[in-house]
Amino acid sequence: MRRQMFGRTKTAVATGALLALGLAACSSGGSDGGDDGGEGGTLDVWIMQGTNPSGEKFFDEVGKAFKEETGATLNVEFVEWGDAHDRFVTSIAGGTTPDVAETGTTWTPEFADAGALAPLDDYVSEAGLDGDLVEGLAEAGTYDGALYGMPWYAGVRSFVYNTEMFDKAGIEPPTTWAEIESAAKALKKEFPDKIAVAVPGDAEFTVYPWVWGAGGEVATLDGDTWTSQLDSPESQAGLEFWTGLAADGYSSAGATTWRETDVLDSFAQGDVGMAVMGSWTPGAIVEANADMEGKFAAVPIPGQDGGIAPSVLGGSHLSMFNTADDKDLAFEFIEMMTTGEFASKWGEQSGYFPGQKSLLEEATSSTDPLVAPFAQQFVEGGASVPVSPNFGAVQAKLTTSTMMQSILSGDQDVATASKAAAEEMTSLLNGGS
Amino acid sequence: MSAPTTSAARASTRPAAASRRPARRALRPGQVGKGLAVAGLLFFTLFPAYWMLVSALDAKAGASTSFVPADFTLDNFRFVLTDGGFATFLRNSLLVALATVLVSSFLALLASVAVARFRFRLRTQVLLLVLVVQMVPLEALVIPLFVQVRDLGLLGQLSGLIVVYVALALPFGIWMLRGFVAAVPVELEEAAYLDGASWGRMFRSILLPLVAPGLVATSIFSFITAWNEFVFALTLLGGEEQNYTVAIGLRSFFGQHSNDWGSIMAASTIITVPVMVFFILVQRRLAGGLTAGAVKG
Amino acid sequence: MSSTTTVTAPTGSGHQPGSVGGRLARKSVLARWRPWLLLAPALLVLAVLLLWPLIRMGMFSLQDYGLPEIVSGEANWIGLGNYTEALTSEQLRTVVLPNTVLFAIASVVCTVVFGTAVAVLLASLGRVWRVIVSSSIMAAWAMPAVTGTYVWVWIFDADRGVFNHVLQSLGLQDQPVNWFTDRWSFYAIVLLNIVHHGFPFVAVTVLAGLLGVPKELLEAAEIDGAGPWRRFFSVTVPQLRQVFAVVVILSTIWDFKVFAQVYLMPGGAGSNREVLNLGVWSYVESFGQNRYGFGSAIAVLLTVLLLLVTVVYVRTILKEEEL
Repeated sequence: MRRQMFGRTKTAVATGALLALGLAACSSGGSDGGDDGGEGGTLDVWIMQGTNPSGEKFFDEVGKAFKEETGATLNVEFVEWGDAHDRFVTSIAGGTTPDVAETGTTWTPEFADAGALAPLDDYVSEAGLDGDLVEGLAEAGTYDGALYGMPWYAGVRSFVYNTEMFDKAGIEPPTTWAEIESAAKALKKEFPDKIAVAVPGDAEFTVYPWVWGAGGEVATLDGDTWTSQLDSPESQAGLEFWTGLAADGYSSAGATTWRETDVLDSFAQGDVGMAVMGSWTPGAIVEANADMEGKFAAVPIPGQDGGIAPSVLGGSHLSMFNTADDKDLAFEFIEMMTTGEFASKWGEQSGYFPGQKSLLEEATSSTDPLVAPFAQQFVEGGASVPVSPNFGAVQAKLTTSTMMQSILSGDQDVATASKAAAEEMTSLLNGGS
Repeated sequence: MSAPTTSAARASTRPAAASRRPARRALRPGQVGKGLAVAGLLFFTLFPAYWMLVSALDAKAGASTSFVPADFTLDNFRFVLTDGGFATFLRNSLLVALATVLVSSFLALLASVAVARFRFRLRTQVLLLVLVVQMVPLEALVIPLFVQVRDLGLLGQLSGLIVVYVALALPFGIWMLRGFVAAVPVELEEAAYLDGASWGRMFRSILLPLVAPGLVATSIFSFITAWNEFVFALTLLGGEEQNYTVAIGLRSFFGQHSNDWGSIMAASTIITVPVMVFFILVQRRLAGGLTAGAVKG
Repeated sequence: MSSTTTVTAPTGSGHQPGSVGGRLARKSVLARWRPWLLLAPALLVLAVLLLWPLIRMGMFSLQDYGLPEIVSGEANWIGLGNYTEALTSEQLRTVVLPNTVLFAIASVVCTVVFGTAVAVLLASLGRVWRVIVSSSIMAAWAMPAVTGTYVWVWIFDADRGVFNHVLQSLGLQDQPVNWFTDRWSFYAIVLLNIVHHGFPFVAVTVLAGLLGVPKELLEAAEIDGAGPWRRFFSVTVPQLRQVFAVVVILSTIWDFKVFAQVYLMPGGAGSNREVLNLGVWSYVESFGQNRYGFGSAIAVLLTVLLLLVTVVYVRTILKEEEL
């Protein structure tokens, strides 16, 4: 409600300002979208979108159910992951934040630190949910001892491959790094114009599995001091292997500047043999190109000599902003999204794993061939990026992408690039710049 | 049409006649060179637009090197206008651009008359100020200007954007119009006064018509400023997607369909064509206007 | 509409000093203030939306200004720390400054030379061809920066772009090349983009100037035996001094501040450190790192740099009385 009134005040001020300048004729621009929803008011929500299947239909349903239950209108806006950080920052600065938003787990502490988020502990315990939150996600949403991000879902990346291409090349899904290399070789031979394995340069989460798989670490904490281990011999071996696939011509020159959305697009076009992709991408692949249905499969990311290479457990919170006037209404929405029917439906439809322990168990025991490998990765090969509020700064600085791009473009070798990246990451994690 | 334009048009006929005559007799090396230069120039200026259009009309953009659409379709345009939301973005941009043009031209004209027709204390300082504010890197002003627009209560609204664009277009407008105003002979004004006209009447019936071509020229610049600008649109409009202008509409579309080049080019075409048509239509006036400015310089 | 009233108010002289005199003293007060009344609306807009933000930018640059400070509005002064950091940074010396300055020089030279050449070509064309060519120039000018950048990115796209396709079908390269990763080829594409977008302004302005050069001067020079080159450089160019001054100053200002054309290219938004320029660096530090103070300090440096360049220009090509 206040948002609406705020909007009107703004228009009035605007008109005043323009009148003062003698420009009254031009005040027509202040159209304020989103009519208010009658007695129940409106709840403004931001939901992220990127490589996951479109959520529009799902949120239409949620909106209906929400209206029935609370009488309030749900106003969902979809925000691209790529733009989201800037959008949050400007809206926090401008006091125009939504009531509730999906926040990436690495951002929640940052926004809480800026004083933009409302603590959720009281609501959570009142609803009796505290025991059921998936620990890693809850921990990531905690800042200064208070919970600011309600665990919503988690996702994990595994190794997705094009079964049609594999069949034609007569190869089996790889289980070791040597097998990845020979599979790439076979694919390149059979399909010289396609990309055997996509090695994107601007997608940090597709890099860490190889670092961990070789026995390296992204960063370690000793007392209060973080030290990045990206330049350890083990990490360098992992990077050497992953970027070596590109150097041997199994990737493509264009992939040097690719983000994960580019990988998804190319894979959906049938141009890519293998790629590290998220548990939420199968739906999006079919959505982008219906012909791909049934033509791809997934395996956990192979370890160097077998086993599973760990992959980042990423995820999202639902956070309540301080600008929400009706905080009870806001939490009602959060509760509705993170528990029961809608939580499991979202998980099924999107390929994410729920943030509630009770639901998670159900999801990870799935036998669906496009869920099971991800579930296995989730349970047996999940890992976390450094748990520090400063990791957001590392991400924003694109430290890992910078390293990858300079290696892939041939500007620097693995040793030089990883050393520079490690220095920068260490400094940023310890609060430097 | 004002006097300078017609003189420009007259001047243009002369070299035309001169250059055509020898061409009939024999092709001199100079002519060939000129022909090649024209061909190269046309290729350089038009190829990006041409390629944009071809890709937009091709269902399989990028699949092969075909310089005509390999698989002709209008689906990309349909998709962009409906699902892409570009119908709304176009309307917003048009509104913002027109308002910016009207307001900034009016304010710039008043200011340029002041600096071109009057000698007053601080005049040079004012002019220097106008020059200096143009130099400020805009993206540096994003934060302070954002805070400023927030304080004015105009975040997320088209009017907030208009106010900012007027400010961005003003210095250049004043700077350009100054020359046009100065080029209007003082004698004309004096004649008007002798006929008993007031300053205001002189302004309307003598000065305004004579600087009209200059106004067209500066309008074009403010139009481009408003139509092209994207950093401020991105930050000041925030999440108000229904208020997006074409520039950030395109960026957000690119974010969602980063490899669907056919649709991206269709969206780009939709954004570009109105401006191109507008430009080509006003080009005579623009050239005429610049001639008037250049007479005095 | 207070400003309109001032314009239409019946009043007397006061335009050029000494041109019309002998009006009533009561009106001369208004006459003295008329320039200021005419200037007021424009100055008000500039003061509120450019000058004050500019001052604020300076204030931010002396603070450790992050997201919490923006929200709370509290100051957090740290003196010249941001400047020390920026000026001693390896990044500034080896990457950012050369990218900004050298690129600006290259693009100003290319834009002005190419634009002038096109203007000369246009002036020598027949009416029909002149309309055709100038329409195509208008088309290039009209292409918005954001659209234009995406079109160039598409043309040079590594895997499906037409440029690589053509090179490969001509046998000039075996493997697709990603032109966006190398600093030089990245900026070559930006340069192409900038020249394509920027030369029409130069061409149209210079052409207008060319047509204004008195024919008598050129004819006199021809009679004196001066060739076309000689006539161009010793008659036309001096006549167009003012036009060139405007064109060069504006191009310089625009090209130093190139932002969208870099930011929207693959790797241009910060992941490829090799291609950062001052504008993008400032933006990336501000928004990515929430270090608005540091970003502002970079912006101040860029502004000062531009100021210096312009002062030199104004001193050398524009005499003060010509302002």
